[in-house]
Amino acid sequence: MTTWEGLLYGIGFAMQPGVLIYCILGVVLGTFVGVLPGIGAMAAISLLLPVTYYITAEAALIMLAGVYYGAQYGGAVASILMRLPGTPQSAVTALDGYPMVREGRAGVALFAAMASSFAGSVIGIMVLVMLAEWLSRAATAFGAADYAAMMILGLVAASTIGTDQFAKGFAMVTLGLLLGCVGTDVNSGVQRFTFGQTEFLDGINLVALAMGLFGVAEVIANVRDPDRQGVVERIGLRRLLPGRDDLRRMGWPTLRGGALGSFFGALPGTGSTLSSFLSYAMERRVARDPSRFGKGAVEGVAGPESANNAAAITAFVPTLTLGIPGDPIMALMLGALVIHGIQPGPLMLEARPEMFWGLVASFGIGNLLLLILNLPLIGIWVAMLRIPFRWLYPAILVFVCLGVYSVRGLTFDIIAVAGIGLVGYLLALAAFSPALLLLGFVLGPLIETNLRRALLISRGDPMVFLERPIAAGFVVATAALLLLSLWQAWRRRTA
Amino acid sequence: MRRDWPDIWGGLALAAVGLSACGWALAYYDLGTLRRMGPGFFPTVLGAMLAALGLIVALPALRRTGVPSRVQPWAAAAVLASIVIFGLGLSRLGLVGATAASVLVASLPAPQPGWTWRMVLTLAVTLLTVLVFSFGLRMTLPLWPRLP
Repeated sequence: MTTWEGLLYGIGFAMQPGVLIYCILGVVLGTFVGVLPGIGAMAAISLLLPVTYYITAEAALIMLAGVYYGAQYGGAVASILMRLPGTPQSAVTALDGYPMVREGRAGVALFAAMASSFAGSVIGIMVLVMLAEWLSRAATAFGAADYAAMMILGLVAASTIGTDQFAKGFAMVTLGLLLGCVGTDVNSGVQRFTFGQTEFLDGINLVALAMGLFGVAEVIANVRDPDRQGVVERIGLRRLLPGRDDLRRMGWPTLRGGALGSFFGALPGTGSTLSSFLSYAMERRVARDPSRFGKGAVEGVAGPESANNAAAITAFVPTLTLGIPGDPIMALMLGALVIHGIQPGPLMLEARPEMFWGLVASFGIGNLLLLILNLPLIGIWVAMLRIPFRWLYPAILVFVCLGVYSVRGLTFDIIAVAGIGLVGYLLALAAFSPALLLLGFVLGPLIETNLRRALLISRGDPMVFLERPIAAGFVVATAALLLLSLWQAWRRRTA
Repeated sequence: MRRDWPDIWGGLALAAVGLSACGWALAYYDLGTLRRMGPGFFPTVLGAMLAALGLIVALPALRRTGVPSRVQPWAAAAVLASIVIFGLGLSRLGLVGATAASVLVASLPAPQPGWTWRMVLTLAVTLLTVLVFSFGLRMTLPLWPRLP
């Protein structure tokens, strides 16, 4: 089957009423679940997994995929309007999306997020259709040393995000890496920094960390803020839509983010988090006036949102073509397929073409549905901002607690949110960037595992990072970035 | 002169965290070799790095003026207390009791006098929470306080 035949066949398959209804169900449910802070695709997919017993494997996968990328749209809404990112990816969206809301440009921020999410998904789908084979080969060419070098580049590149001082940003990344060490060490089984608490054996709960650092800290800062006692200003429809200037600013970041996300999404494990941070860092670098970032630059919303949605699509490449799930959500999807007796892998494209092409077509249809569903909702979300903050924040706190609790069912995690929230509030007072802490925390265990593996394979020879061409490229880029940052800091001091 | 206290304290606190993590890892976890890294290697290196970065942030700030930040101890105390109450109360007071108690405490620092709106808010949020999480998302939680 050629690509075009496959695509046409897939569209026909996904448009069948019996399949389309599950696609719609998935994206609608995903959006609403994504808006709830802390309850992401993971919880919704686990909830729906039993339902998939009663429907065909294709419909099941299409529905679960719909929940997955639908939750990303919803997550962006919560992150922009209330600075409540449920995932590290949407923490990047809050960096500029939330300042835009404070400027009274909530509608524009939401529109930018929706439109670039859609565009990013389309780019991801095109890459998936044309380059699926090449991407899966590229992903397998990445060895442990290459992964470690790539993630270190990501951390260094991101360290300029959300702060003017490189040292402050890098300190937050390092603190995040250190917090990522908490829990059982995978290689030796030693319990690190658990202090005898069994709740720490699996490490710190990521959702508790994100909610405490962002949500709780933000609530504390705003409780008595006179600006938040009802944003009374009338917001007409014109303010909801971006002006010509905004649209012009969104174009390139969306395209660049989509390309970046498509590539990184295919790499198991790191994909969408790294790509949204890298997209933000890149936009800041290429911008004519980088000082606008963090104060409501629409590029800072469009680029990362496009990147993480493109990555969400291409994340299916290793799952479907190699049978290797890149993250826990993909592992659940794989589980849904295995329940139906389908073993994803290199042979699936030939053995079950309707599965592959139907899924690809459903990505397109689902994202279009999301755009149609979400654009009219922008007005409703913005209207919500007129409610005085005192009516909202107690509910936000309860929702955050329940969202965190839903992950592992431990009340310990709720108490942890209070502790993390205090730390997050203090960090915010001293202008340290919580997004970078989160990035370090997510990548920490992956970097450590790959670093140790790489050095084990090379028998302790660190030259492995310069001998492998992919790793060497990342190392050189990291060194160049560090030198550039040092030079800029030095120039600022002498100027 | 008004010093840049946020950076000084923030940097020093990070340096202290880094130093203690480094020391703890050195004392209790095996460093290993470069070829076969032990569980202590990564935390030791990171702790040392954090200590250095903390000092890099703090020391230049000593000779710099900064903007004082507005601290809100009451808001912080009420918000954090409401989370702790929810966490501790969930299994004992049930979803309804824990939500009501935590909403009431959280609403205390809001800059609006009066108790009527606080009661209305408590009722509304409790109802919404039960509808969304207990009936909508079917989370298995006790609804009502456990009787002794």
